[in-house]
Amino acid sequence: MSDQAPATDDRLAAKPVSRTRETIQTLMANRLAVAGLVVLTILVFVGIFGEAIAPYGINDIDIPKRLTGPSSDHWFGTDELGRDVFSRVIVAARVSLQVGFIAVGFALVVGVPIGLISGYYRGGVDSFLMRMMDVLFSFPAILLAIAILAVLGPGVGNAMIAIGLVYTPIFARITRGSVLVVSEEVYIRAARSLGAGDRRIIFRHILPNVMAPIIVQTTLSLAFAILSEAALSFLGLGVQPPNPAWGRMLAEGRNFFEQAPWMGIFPGLAILFTVMSFNFVGDGLRDALDPKQKSVIESRGQSA
Amino acid sequence: MRKAKTRWRITILLLALALAAAACSEGESVDVGEETTTTTTAATTETTAAPEGTTEAPAETTAAPAPAEAVLIAAQGSEPDQLDPHMTSAYASFQVLENVYDTLVQPAADLSMEPALAESWEISDDNLTWTFTLRSGVKFHNGRDLVAQDVVYSFERIIAEGLNGWRFGAVDTISAPDDATVVMTLTQPSPNLLVSIAGFKGMAIIPEEIVTDGSIGTSPVGTGPFRFVSQSPDQGIVLEKNPDYWRAGEGLPKLDGIQFVQIPDAGTKLTALRTGEVHWIDTVPPQDIESLSGEDGVTVGRVPGGDYHYFALNQNLPPFDDVRVRQAIAHAINREEIAEAAQFGAATANQAAIPASNAAWYLDYAPFGSGDAATAQGLLDEAGVSGLTIDFLVSSDFPETVTQAQVISAELAAVGITVEITDVDFTTWLDMQGNGEFGAFMLSWIGNIDPDDFYYAQHHSDGGFNFQGYSNPDVDALLDGARVETDQAARKALYDQAAQLIVDDASYIYLYNPDNINAWRNEVSGYATRGDNAIRFVEASLG
Repeated sequence: MSDQAPATDDRLAAKPVSRTRETIQTLMANRLAVAGLVVLTILVFVGIFGEAIAPYGINDIDIPKRLTGPSSDHWFGTDELGRDVFSRVIVAARVSLQVGFIAVGFALVVGVPIGLISGYYRGGVDSFLMRMMDVLFSFPAILLAIAILAVLGPGVGNAMIAIGLVYTPIFARITRGSVLVVSEEVYIRAARSLGAGDRRIIFRHILPNVMAPIIVQTTLSLAFAILSEAALSFLGLGVQPPNPAWGRMLAEGRNFFEQAPWMGIFPGLAILFTVMSFNFVGDGLRDALDPKQKSVIESRGQSA
Repeated sequence: MRKAKTRWRITILLLALALAAAACSEGESVDVGEETTTTTTAATTETTAAPEGTTEAPAETTAAPAPAEAVLIAAQGSEPDQLDPHMTSAYASFQVLENVYDTLVQPAADLSMEPALAESWEISDDNLTWTFTLRSGVKFHNGRDLVAQDVVYSFERIIAEGLNGWRFGAVDTISAPDDATVVMTLTQPSPNLLVSIAGFKGMAIIPEEIVTDGSIGTSPVGTGPFRFVSQSPDQGIVLEKNPDYWRAGEGLPKLDGIQFVQIPDAGTKLTALRTGEVHWIDTVPPQDIESLSGEDGVTVGRVPGGDYHYFALNQNLPPFDDVRVRQAIAHAINREEIAEAAQFGAATANQAAIPASNAAWYLDYAPFGSGDAATAQGLLDEAGVSGLTIDFLVSSDFPETVTQAQVISAELAAVGITVEITDVDFTTWLDMQGNGEFGAFMLSWIGNIDPDDFYYAQHHSDGGFNFQGYSNPDVDALLDGARVETDQAARKALYDQAAQLIVDDASYIYLYNPDNINAWRNEVSGYATRGDNAIRFVEASLG
């Protein structure tokens, strides 16, 4: 942001201290983002302590009590094997978050360096790496993930790899685009003329200045990664039974939709709230981090 | 012994409903009346385009306007892969072909073998020559008379290229000395020859010309009660009455036609029956049987079936090569709980393969406990096994296997055994089974009648489906001996011994026999669910 056009005096004075705080303030002013953050905090808590919170074991089979509706004993009812749906939804949160974070982490760790190298060095390296990314990008995400899982075999670990691979080109592209802009800036040329090496320039000067879009993309990708995991589990390619996963619970619930709608509704709601929260937070972060977007919002706020 | 019922839960399009509804208005029952004798109601108006293959059919044109047609709409859960009876193994195909083709003899309602295309048969004193006399006046749907050479041709085709050539293992020669006689000579006595060569429509008698012109896979021509009209994505499979059927003298078939529509989703299929869009459905989800049985307007047909569900441990992998480990697992599981969980009570737990309803061959044998953790733990300790993990192969294409594996997983946890479930699509499942990539696999066998079907291919050392790697010379000798034993009582004794060894050795760990279940609207009469799961509409009517 320091590279942005002429700044007034007070902005100049405020900036070094308040950049992070300002971001947080803008984020906190966004009610949806705050709601999203609250839900995500709960979710992470539940993800970590799920088994301790759950009133029943996730695989406590109790056939005589199968398909009973929500009650004080079983808040979300029981499934076709008499297992407590509430406990399973809670414990499944962990696997969803795990897959989300690890898959997106993988995409981040692989995609960002590819984007940095492409955008900084350009030329042949750029063409080669970006065409590789284009190949990955040309497949519909879920289809590619299914194809990868068909080769690797079903399972959570492989689902993480598949989703991570599918999301890698997004990060590579976003990073590269930003790097292309930033590396033309005067301060980069200045650094270079002062004799800074490529590595120093990339990590000290370029990377910090392209982080904003990457952070936003990370948050949004988490939502889509969790959705992808749910889709893969729905198709039986992700988490293997008897371990619970929202997507798989949804698939099982489909067969009992008439007798026991709660089997599908609650895992479905869990997916909905999680993905929505990540999206709200992602949108909020974008507003907070992107100065152009921010000024639009501020002006809107003034006119209102 | 077709392997499994194909993959009816693959999620694809649910077309067919709209047209089922459209055709339904035509399905207004026409009362054919009890006095109806031969072909008085056979004047079918050919509203559907005449197919290529039926040009030779005797033209029946009546000037009078035809009465509303009694066309039964049957919903099946999956699409027939092809209509060549010798090449398909899909249950959906057989549901259709059952009504198009005939076999030399056929299973009656009680599963004993009754005459069909062969009116009678004689067995020589040495049990090595079987002479079949064909019914006279049987015509193929293309108008040509059935001759003995057709039987010879069909059987030779099955032996040469079909999936069921192994069923002729005991057959040396097949010949047709005249148009009405088929003679089979055997290399060894084969008491179950009739079941082997005519137990289901995979052994259908076909006319050579539809093979020569390549139409057998898409436009079957048989001798059965209904003839094939068309197959299309929007109409499903349409069959019409065969007026020249060899039981036409009894007024059969009563229906003017059958339309098979495909509805992959079980819930949608059930709704279609409830709303009257279809007359008949091939399966009912187990959890819906109870509620459906109480409904007006719908009949649920339910008979104990010859199918059995089981799982098998990979005996090529330690520690499953130790019989005590296998027995421990057989003791630790609770078959009643598994059957209840997967089939909602529409099944009977069984520690052996053959169900009680198969009275001729049933063996009441149950050496294992039911969820007996103490005995199981003792056996495991004796074998020195602890901390065992089983890589358990199942397929969502057969959802009950996933359910059962989860119950077994919970039951085995009580004896410290961890079950890791691998859920793959059925094609992958078959690959992995073939390559031995499993600690255990679970599935079912359907449509068995003779004990040879139940045991030989699965448990003989040289059996084609012995993927679990079971080998017991005593069992081999008993199964080989029973194959050639012609005395029924002696044969049963041999199979009983073999079955006890197989159960004791836990080659398969048997779970239960599910009921066969169809459901239909009450306006359908003359249809019954059968123990062998054959879908016969020959005596059905709408009224």
